[in-house]
Amino acid sequence: MSAVSEIQNAGNGAVGNRNIVVQARGVSKIFRRDAFEVTALDNVSIDIAAGEFVALMGPSGSGKTTLLNMIAAIDRPTSGQLLVLSEDIFLLNDEQTARWRNEHVGYIFQTFNLMPVLTAFENVELPLLLTNLTQQQRRDHVTTALRLVGLGDRMHHLPRQLSGGQEQRVAIARAIVTDPTLIIADEPTGDLDSHSATEVLEILKRLNENFQKTVVMVTHDPHAASYAHVVRHLEKGMLLPIGG
Amino acid sequence: MTLTHFVTKNAFRNKRRSLLTVGSITFSLLLLTLMMTIWRSFYLDKGSEDSAQRLMTRHKVSLANFLPEFYRQRIRSIPGVTHVVPITWFGGKYKDDKAENFFAQFGTDPTEFFKVYTDYKIPPEQAAAWQHDRAGAIVDEHMAKKYGWKVGDKITLKGTIFPMNLELTIRGIYNPPTSTDTLYFDAKYVEESVRWFRGSAGLFASLADSPQSVGRVATTIDDAFRNSPQPTKTESEKAFLLGFISMLGNVKAFILFICGAVVFAILLVSANTMAMSIRERTREVAVLKTLGFPRKTILALFIGEGVTLALVGGLIGSLGATGLVGLVAKGGGFFAGLSVTPGTMGVALLVAGLVGFLSSFAPSYTASRLNIVEGLRHIG
Repeated sequence: MSAVSEIQNAGNGAVGNRNIVVQARGVSKIFRRDAFEVTALDNVSIDIAAGEFVALMGPSGSGKTTLLNMIAAIDRPTSGQLLVLSEDIFLLNDEQTARWRNEHVGYIFQTFNLMPVLTAFENVELPLLLTNLTQQQRRDHVTTALRLVGLGDRMHHLPRQLSGGQEQRVAIARAIVTDPTLIIADEPTGDLDSHSATEVLEILKRLNENFQKTVVMVTHDPHAASYAHVVRHLEKGMLLPIGG
Repeated sequence: MTLTHFVTKNAFRNKRRSLLTVGSITFSLLLLTLMMTIWRSFYLDKGSEDSAQRLMTRHKVSLANFLPEFYRQRIRSIPGVTHVVPITWFGGKYKDDKAENFFAQFGTDPTEFFKVYTDYKIPPEQAAAWQHDRAGAIVDEHMAKKYGWKVGDKITLKGTIFPMNLELTIRGIYNPPTSTDTLYFDAKYVEESVRWFRGSAGLFASLADSPQSVGRVATTIDDAFRNSPQPTKTESEKAFLLGFISMLGNVKAFILFICGAVVFAILLVSANTMAMSIRERTREVAVLKTLGFPRKTILALFIGEGVTLALVGGLIGSLGATGLVGLVAKGGGFFAGLSVTPGTMGVALLVAGLVGFLSSFAPSYTASRLNIVEGLRHIG
């Protein structure tokens, strides 16, 4: 029996017939360092429906980012099964996984991670260089993405010429320029002042509400979590029950 | 933007380091191009067609030993030989011992000289004037310009080997295929003044009827004098000139050693730069992979950076070498006629590209295999 059918058979009633984007069943992740083993995730099961805005909260080392990385297919579980967009992404080879990420996932980092030698426009264009779009099509996509985050007038600025909030908005534009289904944000407001943080959260909310993007966000900040439909807590690698 | 544009921007992101790397590659490739040019000139160039038909016959023991003048007739009678002239090194001093006043001076037979040196061009009236003046001399165009000589000027060469001074009048200015910085005069002038030299010649230059007969003619000449008191060694003009180069030592090994050292040094410099450059961008590599860049593209991006830097250095270096060789060749002498060919430049660029590829491959490969999670955690 394939992982897909196993998970579908085991699907819990909570999500019912909704279109499920992320289905995790018994996912564990154990890091081995020398003779020590650290359990980052312990038997985590979670369903995230399409169009949901989910916040993952928890103390440092609780496994939030590890779970996020697995959903984005940049890390692999030690055990358990994980379907993202109905695909068992860990059956894909490295090249296929990279393409899958490029097409389906937009990743927003806490520290922006823009290429310092590229302008805002070029940073946003970067993921599109892997597609078959023409130069004009790429230009249109980038312009649209940058306007959407309110940076239509900062296209040709280098990251060092932008404020932290503006850099993060460029990073959001880069994450959405390929029109992914899933937006993964790892503490996107962690390095921002409250004003910039609110701007970024408003953009994420708009992407979720107006463009039906599924957003999975890791945060420590209760204010940021208040933008989410669902808040899930992790502690010592275990996912606490809703409301737990 | 294209991936090429991205590669170029990254290659020159740290301007000081990129300039220093390009500078070191430039200097190394300049040296390499110079060495390859000298190698080509010494060992690969065939010279002019006429040069390929010319043979030089000297005493088998040493260039310092004279040959009997009558050998000329014997050589002339050998099938395949069309003309023969004696060539004798005079070794006189012009003005003083300064290096800039040193040039080759040879005694020869003006009546037959241009029949052997058919690729040397001179106005017929100047050739005739030289043939009719026993104290006449001809000089090459480059030399005439260098010393400001013109037809009719008188020069004195103080004998160092021969106990006499030559009072010569310049009767002609000839134009060889490549500058020779050589003065020719009538050998009879010396013969008349120096008794012990009469009936002798330093060596003989002869012209074969075709390039194909050169080998056979050389063997026949040497066979003819094998058991005589003055055995000969006959070789092509090119081989004869290479004999002078080999007097400097094992020039081939010397050039190869320098080339090898140069390539190895730039490989290390370039590898160090690329390793540093890639290591400090570990986090960026992880970000690129997160954005969906596959291993192959990451590998190509970083190798592209290494190759770009090396090619820029290589191009500047080989262009610099072209200019430098031009300047050296203008000075005449041993390096006259030296030039950097497009082929040599191509090889230099190929070496540069290869150095760029080899130096960046290992760090690029490591980067392409980077674990994204570890890369994102990297601080540096």
